[in-house]
Amino acid sequence: MSEEEKLREIEKAQEEYERLAVQFFSRYPQVRERRTTFGLPLKSLYTPLDVAGGDYLRDLGFPGGYPLTRGVSPLGYRAKEWTRRQVVGLGTAEETNERLRYLLEQGQTGFSVCGMGYAAYESSDERSLGILGRGGVWIDTLYDIETLFQGIDMEQITINQIGESVAIFAMILSEARRRGIPFANLRGTIQNVVLPGGEGPGLRGNHGVDVVEYCCHNLPRWNHTSVSARDVREQGISSVQEIAMSMYGGLCTINAALARGIDIDVVAPRVTFFLSAEDEFLEEVAKYRAARRMWARLMRERFGAKDPRSWLMRFHVQTSAISLTAQQPLQNVIRSTIHALAAVLGGAQSMSVNSFDEVLAIPTEAAAILSLRTQQIILHETDAAVVIDPLGGSYCIEALTSQLEDEGGKLLAHLEEMGAEKAWAYIWEEAHQAGYRRQQAVDTGERAVVGVNCYMMEEEEEKALGLDVGQVFEYDPTWRDKQIARLEKVKRERDAQKVEAAKKRLVEAYRARENIVEPMMEAVQTYLSIGEIVELLAGVHGLDELEKRHGFYLSFLY
Amino acid sequence: MTEKKKTRFLLVADTPGHTTGYYVVARALREAGIEVILGGFQQPSGMVEAAAQEDVDYIGYRIMDREPRLVVSLLMERLKERGLEHVQVVVGGIIPKQDIPKLKAMGVGEVFRPGAKLTDIVAYVKGHAPKSAGSA
Repeated sequence: MSEEEKLREIEKAQEEYERLAVQFFSRYPQVRERRTTFGLPLKSLYTPLDVAGGDYLRDLGFPGGYPLTRGVSPLGYRAKEWTRRQVVGLGTAEETNERLRYLLEQGQTGFSVCGMGYAAYESSDERSLGILGRGGVWIDTLYDIETLFQGIDMEQITINQIGESVAIFAMILSEARRRGIPFANLRGTIQNVVLPGGEGPGLRGNHGVDVVEYCCHNLPRWNHTSVSARDVREQGISSVQEIAMSMYGGLCTINAALARGIDIDVVAPRVTFFLSAEDEFLEEVAKYRAARRMWARLMRERFGAKDPRSWLMRFHVQTSAISLTAQQPLQNVIRSTIHALAAVLGGAQSMSVNSFDEVLAIPTEAAAILSLRTQQIILHETDAAVVIDPLGGSYCIEALTSQLEDEGGKLLAHLEEMGAEKAWAYIWEEAHQAGYRRQQAVDTGERAVVGVNCYMMEEEEEKALGLDVGQVFEYDPTWRDKQIARLEKVKRERDAQKVEAAKKRLVEAYRARENIVEPMMEAVQTYLSIGEIVELLAGVHGLDELEKRHGFYLSFLY
Repeated sequence: MTEKKKTRFLLVADTPGHTTGYYVVARALREAGIEVILGGFQQPSGMVEAAAQEDVDYIGYRIMDREPRLVVSLLMERLKERGLEHVQVVVGGIIPKQDIPKLKAMGVGEVFRPGAKLTDIVAYVKGHAPKSAGSA
């Protein structure tokens, strides 16, 4: 029998099945239609008819081979486990260093610290009231970065910089240089992305491209870009939008790098992505696979990338936060576990699992360990990480993968047609609408959330059962005093002449549109603070202009 | 009879980023006919400046990263200095439960924590008719 004849046979049998199913379903009027997050029907059954026309070698191939649908590594997790990279960030560099070292002792394998370069002013500034150490670590100067890395081998661990602060990046490199580590040995990622709009006089976009350029020339193992569509996904958008925005963000970096004369096979291998893991388990697994295939095809077919490493879409996953609930918060452990499993089955390179108490505060040490254990259990106790792309070949997963790629491609084309400024506004408008619709669906009960709109429980009952969150992380208001003392010590001890010279050099480089990374390194090495640097650079082009242009993102800019 | 003035609500945030709830609440209030002014990321002095310029009835303060008691207390102080005590402050976000009575004692009208319903937020704002600046 030919393939076509076989399909016709299946089609006939399926028609028979569907007739029966319709009769059967009519007895269950409560059965509601379900849709994917991007609005297409999610069927109750997928069959060979849903993947007809697919071609194994063309669409799936083998792990590590084009079009990378089945994963970026030929041996999957058996050769290279994903990095267990829980986000850490609290208090001053001392508190964060302490927790980080504890997590590393407990089996964490990557460095990821939040809050670095978060604020554009010093700890002693009145604008830093109440923020110091409550939403991440606080960094004023290189002295804090030295403390942050104390007892941590910078050559052994991959370092993830959350945020895109060039000053922080320069501090990390300076600390490595002080330790005598050749840049070629450093491995890490900066959450840098070139925003639509790219380069121009006095634009922040310049610095994003500077980082890309600097890494391409000096840091062969550093991921110069980490496109975060997770930020937007967390507003409530769909998986299709997450994919399209990832691709769009990645292309902004690629185009900016090409415009500076960097070869596609130099820039592309170090573009990485930062994705979410949401409630829709099957769709999420398909999402990672679809994204990988789309990126590979874009790099090879559109940009003519020849180096197979240029085709690889490598990504970090932080599990969903928007799905976690303040009600019956212990349940969040289960939610995050399911999210994490989707990321593993989707082939993530690195992961951070949100803690159950993060809806209320920074996680306690116990909650952070529990998140790390979630990853370790999936890795060591289950068989999920043994077989490569184990859901590949499932009619459902393959059909969803193709649908996501098609829909994602349409949206990407739409964004590209719009042009930079409009696309950016469009993305955020879509995100805000989606967030509102999602919250409405939760409020009305249309979207079931256990403990929130069904199976609710009074707080007293939760507590009586021992299902409450228990101890919550408490903010320590003395951290600010401690940090101010650290900053004062640095300012007392630093060489004033060197500081002045570095300031002058930095402003000159900024005005002349030189690549900012080296001058920034010189500046931070004199222990100039981030607050001082921002003030200096804002003096050149005006902070207001930057603020208007980037709105909410201002404090991540330097 | 004077024409009924539309409720004016200034929405501000303690830090940039993590804006999901901020925009969701903004949209819910707008859909309910409330005039929402997006103040974005602001320091308390900036919030008060914007509140005066925009002649608002409410300041909705999204708090994510900052210590609520410290920043709300500063905001209340600045409002008083500016003679804007009639502006009702509402707080939402990552607020420890034990802080709620303390914030209310400072004059905060209501505190909405994670898990709050949009309908509750809207009902609160609609249920508290704006006090006009001139009235005693």
